[in-house]
Amino acid sequence: MDLILQLLFTGIGIGAVYALVALGFVLIFRATNVVNFAQGEFSMVAAYLMVVFAVDLGWPYWLSFLIALAGMALLGVIFNLGVYYPLRHRTYLPVIIATIGASILLANSVLAIYGPQPQVLQGWFETPGIQLGPVYLDSQYLLIIGVTILLVFFNFWFFEKTLLGKKLQATSQDKEMASLLGISVSTMIMITFIYSAVLGGLAGILVAPVLFVSIQMGSTIALKAFAATIIGGFGDVAGAIIGGLALGVIETFGAAYISVPYKDGFAFLVLVAFLIFRPQGIFGERVAEKA
Amino acid sequence: MSAPSDNMPIPAPAVHSRPLVIRHLPYFIGAAVLVGLAAGLRFDGYILNILLQATTFSIAVFGLSVVLGLCGQINLAQAAFFGFGAYAVGLGTTDLHLSFWLCLVAGCAIALIAGAFLGMSTLRLGGHYLAMVTISFQQIVTLVMINAIGLTHGPDGVSNIRRPELFQTSQGYLAFCVAVLAIVGYLVWHLPDTRLGRAMRAVRDNELAAGVNGIDVFRTKVYAFALCALLGGLAGGLFAGGFAYVSPDQFSFAESIVFLTMSLLGGVASPIGSAIGTGLLILIPEWLRFLKSVPGLYLAIYGLFVILIIRFMPDGIWGFVADAFTRWRAHTKAPPVAAALQLKPATDGGEIVLEVTGLSKHFGGLKAVDGVNIAVRRGSVHALIGPNGSGKTTTLNVLSGLYKATSGRIVLDGTDITNMASHQRTAAGLGRTFQNIRLFRSMTALENVEIGAERPGNSMIGKGEDALTERAMEALTFVGLGNRANELISSFSYGHQRLIEIARALASNPTLLLLDEPAAGLNSTEKLELHELLKRIAAQGLTILIIDHDMTLVSEAAQHITVLNFGRRIADGESMAVLRHPDVVSAYLGSE
Amino acid sequence: MKLTRRDFAAGIVAGIAAPHIITSARAQGATIKIGMCAPVTGPAAESGGYAVKGAKLALEAVNKAGGILGKQGELIVEDDQTTNPGIVLAFSKLAAQSDIVGFLGSIRSTQVHAMAPDVLKLGKPVMIGGTDPNLTHMGNKWLFRFRPNDSYSGRVIAEYGVSTLGKKKWAVLHSTDAFGTAGGKALTEALTKLGAPPVLDQGYANQSQDFTPVVLAIKQSGADILGSYFTFENDLGIFARQLRQLGVNIPWVGSPSIVNITALKLAGPALHNTYGVADYAEQSSEASKAFGKAYRDAVKVAPDNQSSWTYDAVTVLSAGINKAGSTEPEKVREAILSIKKFPGAEGEYNFDQNGDGLHGYNIVKNDKGNIVFDKHIEFND
Repeated sequence: MDLILQLLFTGIGIGAVYALVALGFVLIFRATNVVNFAQGEFSMVAAYLMVVFAVDLGWPYWLSFLIALAGMALLGVIFNLGVYYPLRHRTYLPVIIATIGASILLANSVLAIYGPQPQVLQGWFETPGIQLGPVYLDSQYLLIIGVTILLVFFNFWFFEKTLLGKKLQATSQDKEMASLLGISVSTMIMITFIYSAVLGGLAGILVAPVLFVSIQMGSTIALKAFAATIIGGFGDVAGAIIGGLALGVIETFGAAYISVPYKDGFAFLVLVAFLIFRPQGIFGERVAEKA
Repeated sequence: MSAPSDNMPIPAPAVHSRPLVIRHLPYFIGAAVLVGLAAGLRFDGYILNILLQATTFSIAVFGLSVVLGLCGQINLAQAAFFGFGAYAVGLGTTDLHLSFWLCLVAGCAIALIAGAFLGMSTLRLGGHYLAMVTISFQQIVTLVMINAIGLTHGPDGVSNIRRPELFQTSQGYLAFCVAVLAIVGYLVWHLPDTRLGRAMRAVRDNELAAGVNGIDVFRTKVYAFALCALLGGLAGGLFAGGFAYVSPDQFSFAESIVFLTMSLLGGVASPIGSAIGTGLLILIPEWLRFLKSVPGLYLAIYGLFVILIIRFMPDGIWGFVADAFTRWRAHTKAPPVAAALQLKPATDGGEIVLEVTGLSKHFGGLKAVDGVNIAVRRGSVHALIGPNGSGKTTTLNVLSGLYKATSGRIVLDGTDITNMASHQRTAAGLGRTFQNIRLFRSMTALENVEIGAERPGNSMIGKGEDALTERAMEALTFVGLGNRANELISSFSYGHQRLIEIARALASNPTLLLLDEPAAGLNSTEKLELHELLKRIAAQGLTILIIDHDMTLVSEAAQHITVLNFGRRIADGESMAVLRHPDVVSAYLGSE
Repeated sequence: MKLTRRDFAAGIVAGIAAPHIITSARAQGATIKIGMCAPVTGPAAESGGYAVKGAKLALEAVNKAGGILGKQGELIVEDDQTTNPGIVLAFSKLAAQSDIVGFLGSIRSTQVHAMAPDVLKLGKPVMIGGTDPNLTHMGNKWLFRFRPNDSYSGRVIAEYGVSTLGKKKWAVLHSTDAFGTAGGKALTEALTKLGAPPVLDQGYANQSQDFTPVVLAIKQSGADILGSYFTFENDLGIFARQLRQLGVNIPWVGSPSIVNITALKLAGPALHNTYGVADYAEQSSEASKAFGKAYRDAVKVAPDNQSSWTYDAVTVLSAGINKAGSTEPEKVREAILSIKKFPGAEGEYNFDQNGDGLHGYNIVKNDKGNIVFDKHIEFND
């Protein structure tokens, strides 16, 4: 039982990381119908920004945090203008390839600037964790889980209760209709990219103290997050969160009870099973293919 | 539009004067020269390795040009299929001591089967889902390669892989690979002009239209996917023989991405583009080696180039070059002259060609079509009318198999087609056009109509490509566009596109032709011409079921009218009588 | 149309050939060239940088001491991108330069496997750092190893844990890549021979984000000592922290990565009081100390095995050529194989007929972040 509780906590913790990145995927997908393969690199870039400001320059953690997120917002703008916007009238394939190109560009630019050494970033808290009975709770994972829960509420409030959120919703559901209503579609897409880059960055900064800051940190998480979005039902915010958590738990228990080396395989097996038997995901109601 | 003289029976000249092999002789000579060069020139080991890598990778990328370029489906697991071939040759020639050739064939077969299986289980999904499934498949294959040590030797990989006795030297082996590349390249180059190739292009351009023109969309996609996997396996087998060592990291997801980028960079639509893209992506990192003093710099530049090429050369490098070349050549071949179109609708059933009984289609609680009966007489023009939202188009979609009927029965010329897929209905003799025109936009008018003519069970065409072209030309000439047969769809006016769609349906020699609002969007002259065309079609004894709003067209063309409102039939009978029916009048007055 | 396509193909061939022609046009220099394949990019780019620095440092020393056959030595580095196809291309690019007399291959066994067929074809000596025992036992006489192979590391870890620390219930943890699998196997075999077969033999995939299931498995197995083969430092760091967090404090003897500087930086206190086998330990000998000082002076970081093996490789290769008095491969080979009791940074080189230069390991201890030399264990069989 102790074992199961410990595994459950870790599974949820790592799942929350997937969920955060998955959220960024979903937002962009809903707004543009495009999968952003550079989403993982957003997380990586943000973590390196933290290293630059908080570690190398020694600025206060909260200030570095704000600067890093602002940097991510800027990256979102550049990404939209440089990668998505020029291709917006083309099919999804060229855009996917362009985002793959962007991910190669981002990863290797950071490598060129910062070198290949993994870096250490301290967590928010001084104490590494707390022992709760038989279960050890890592403080950074607790924070990640907390932020994920907050974001669920924030997203609900933002998309359902604010005008901007509603405009974003309208845009992602029907661009033509939205523009007829006087909503600037390109502004909405720009906001989506900014928000999604900031979210990805947030995930990167939160996870950096646990996984260290490395060039590959983003791509490994992103692939799992992508799987999580499909399990949760593509295009569904709540689905992405549940999918991410489910994936983290499945993976951890699969590793513990079936096989450690095949750990990464469980995510994809579950995914394939979902795609074949329930392509709309856990929450999705849409049919797999839009005609 | 239609000059009557077009329909005068003029003997059609042979379309191709020389046999295929002779016309393509330059290609084979060129290929032979390349093979000779590969065998004869003295390369050092570095150049040899690069050429060998480029040659084998190109074959794998050809596979992507089939699945992605021709059929429009994404495959992010090509490296896995490449790996199947490589491991078959690797393990077969070392652990099992089998002959290289046997292993190569086995590798191709394994890749083919895996590809077909993966395709069958997932190709009903599209786009991003397919991308994700192939990524998952790729990841699982990689994990098995690493962890199933008993089978694959795990991360150590397989070394000392043997080559065939015949090609022991590296240069000899390279020449052999170039020869394979040339042959595969030839086949892939000409695939678009075959029946399967046309079907793939049709699926890529418009799945719905492909279905109603008799193409089994799902099967076509599976074929494309399996073919892609097969080429991946072949390439992998050759690669293993060439480098004598394989290990799991050579067949990872990252490599699949490299293959995809190669394909898009060169131009996804053509094997030449694939070869260019492959060559460049192998060479560029080599050329940029001088940037190595800063780690990551050259890969960063590479990433930037990928973005720029996608942005500025949407059809890849070869697409860009070929496009410029076509513009420079600036003329299209004059199409051959055609004989008059013969329509011989099948007459298996009785007096009634189409009998619809109790047809319903419900969407959740909405009864879009509710217990409709229609009987279309042989040789007549029958109209289905009704105000907006009355269920006309839904009825048509249920008839042509795009929607599944909730209940009821559809009998076409004595055959029950109620539960058939749309391509099967087409085979059974149904032809249709769409209200919003669904043509295959990347093809010429002639190619579009050829796809129609290829309908399984079309008794009006003989064997071979020439007969197909002839039939398609006849149909295009019949609608008055024979002289523009080799132009791309995009160069035609809206009205002419509609005519091409009708020609496509006519070329298939249907038993019943469904026309979905053919007059929509036409100006008054075009409407008149459409009316003339309908008369000429009806004169050949083809039964037509037409939906339209244009009362003039309907009342003049149709002998029989069925009226729908709110999904139910409110009137049915001889044209004039129906149009004076009080319910019909009130339905229309109420809505117009 | 067809003509154009052919032209295009010809253009590509010309494009490929052009750099080649330029390369061969370059005149034979007045230097003796040594080729080196190193991961300048890719996951191992970090250690690749150290490797190149070590080799350069050795060459400087050789040149200062009179050079190779009276000429100055020159190092030509090609990026192997940390991948197998990458090293095949990098090596064949070097091999194409006929004036290169000897080579440095990779520290990664799988890459050495990948390049081995080309090495055999070329027939020139290649110094390697990959520790898979098979590499020097598969009939390729041109490979010379400058690190003790994994059969020794496994034996040393087992020997130290069982005899010195007195622990018999072992948990063995290894990466599932080529290095980790071979190491795990060697350790398990050595333990079985010593009458202490492991109670847990656990593999993990590289770049795992979480090791909780592994740690819990170790906890449950009741093991009283842990032996490990980690490939990447970030994996090691995550594991070490989780191991301590979940309260596992049994002795831990690890493969060389456990004492490398990146791992120390990432894992911090979580690695305190662990033991590592180290082919390079600064205090293990006079030669090691000398290298350590020179490296610190030049590079400003602590030396480790990534740089020490390339340092020795260049030193020994140069010595071999000088001893042979010729750059003819067969003579150089004989000269290297005849090298005995040669003091290197990694230890004392006594080449056997397989091409293995070292036959033992140092045991070092992580004493609050400082790596302290404990003892050297050498095998003579």
